[in-house]
Amino acid sequence: MNILLAAILKVIGVLMFVGLNAYILIWGERKVSGHIQRRIGPIRVGGPSGIMQSAADILKLMSKEDFVPSGADWWLWVLAPVVSVAPAVLVYLVLPIGRTLVLRNLNVGLVFFSSVSSFTLLGIFMAGWGSNNKYSLLGAMRAGAQLFSYEIPLILSTIGVVMLAGSLTLQRIVAAQTHYGWFIFPQIVGFIVFFVASVAELNRTPFDLAEAESELVAGYFTEYSGMRWAMFAIAEYSNLFTLSALGVTLFLGGWHGPLLPGWVWFVLKSYFLVFVGIWIRWTLPRVRIDQLMDLGWKFLFPVSVLNLLGTGLYLMVR
Amino acid sequence: MALLGRIWNTAKSMFVGHSITLREMFTTPITVFYPEEKPPMERGSRSVPVLKVNEGTGLLNCVSCGLCERSCPPSCIKIEQALDAKGDRQSWPEAFELNLSHCMVCNLCVEACPFDALEMADVVELCSYQVQDLIFDKQQLAEIWKTSRSLRVANGERL
Repeated sequence: MNILLAAILKVIGVLMFVGLNAYILIWGERKVSGHIQRRIGPIRVGGPSGIMQSAADILKLMSKEDFVPSGADWWLWVLAPVVSVAPAVLVYLVLPIGRTLVLRNLNVGLVFFSSVSSFTLLGIFMAGWGSNNKYSLLGAMRAGAQLFSYEIPLILSTIGVVMLAGSLTLQRIVAAQTHYGWFIFPQIVGFIVFFVASVAELNRTPFDLAEAESELVAGYFTEYSGMRWAMFAIAEYSNLFTLSALGVTLFLGGWHGPLLPGWVWFVLKSYFLVFVGIWIRWTLPRVRIDQLMDLGWKFLFPVSVLNLLGTGLYLMVR
Repeated sequence: MALLGRIWNTAKSMFVGHSITLREMFTTPITVFYPEEKPPMERGSRSVPVLKVNEGTGLLNCVSCGLCERSCPPSCIKIEQALDAKGDRQSWPEAFELNLSHCMVCNLCVEACPFDALEMADVVELCSYQVQDLIFDKQQLAEIWKTSRSLRVANGERL
């Protein structure tokens, strides 16, 4: 009974964090993009910082009509937002937030993370197929092609860290960084490949071909509105945070840091990477699909393999 | 070697781009809070032709010659000349109507006017929900001229 209660409390905690995170990031993205373009961003709702803008947005989205397009595959269409939110929530299971603060210290934490986070594609595909809309289908197809060309460099780039740390457990990878220093220094190539691939995995500019507004209206969620659309947005921003958190765990020392408690450092570093992601989004233009494939298969893949080779040689020679 | 050069160029251009956006992020925004904070109109900006009033006599400069009416491409000006009891034409307008919903702010009426009776005002907040409200008579046009600023300053007429 106590175990059940603890589990329910943990789930509620994670869901609250997912909601709060999406709330803050949507507001933050609008503020950062505004200031990058020398605008101000939201200011009218909730004081001079406009912090209540997202709350107003939520109220607006909740009051919208629940509209199902004619000819949509009802089950696929309705389940798609749920399927894309579920992995975004699940990956919090293995995130090492603090020295002892981790929901479940799985011994295959990294494999769990990467396999669960690729489930997002299933939601995208269900949305694209179920909407009965050519733009949605094109967006979903692009997302599929993109995911295959980026998941492989993403995982290969993390294997270098795994080889150095000698463990797939995220907590032990973080602990190993007291010995080596942050893995970003020995694994700088791996970090660059990881970061580029994670931007592509998140479908964010410059790799937002799956939802390219100027080409595909909104890509795979063209037909969605109201809270169903909001679930896609929550999943996107939650994934942005969790992939940044994975980057922090693998390369930036996780919860290591002076003075402040570990979880504060973890969240601060994660939000720094999130900021860099937002910064990239509002700087670089979208690449073409063939350039994206070129970058994935002809650059990131060989570079990450070479990085693995170098790491292996170092471990042999040492 | 060429590949390395391309990689270097890519990295360099990305660095330059990101440094520009980061710098822009910390510069002061150029947003103007329009309804609360009104930016000054440029001198010589024109929004509506208005009737000038003689400062000494308080009468309109207009002599009702009708040249502006003829020069107006969309025919938005209507002048009715004043007549006395005997039916002789007088040198002031009985009515002067400007339909701003048709006016295209071309300035041709001002250029046609031989008596310096018309001028472009810099008053822009004249919008309305009814087209009837956009038809101005001579009193209204003279009132708008009194609130207008730019051309009188530009001509050195009065501050």
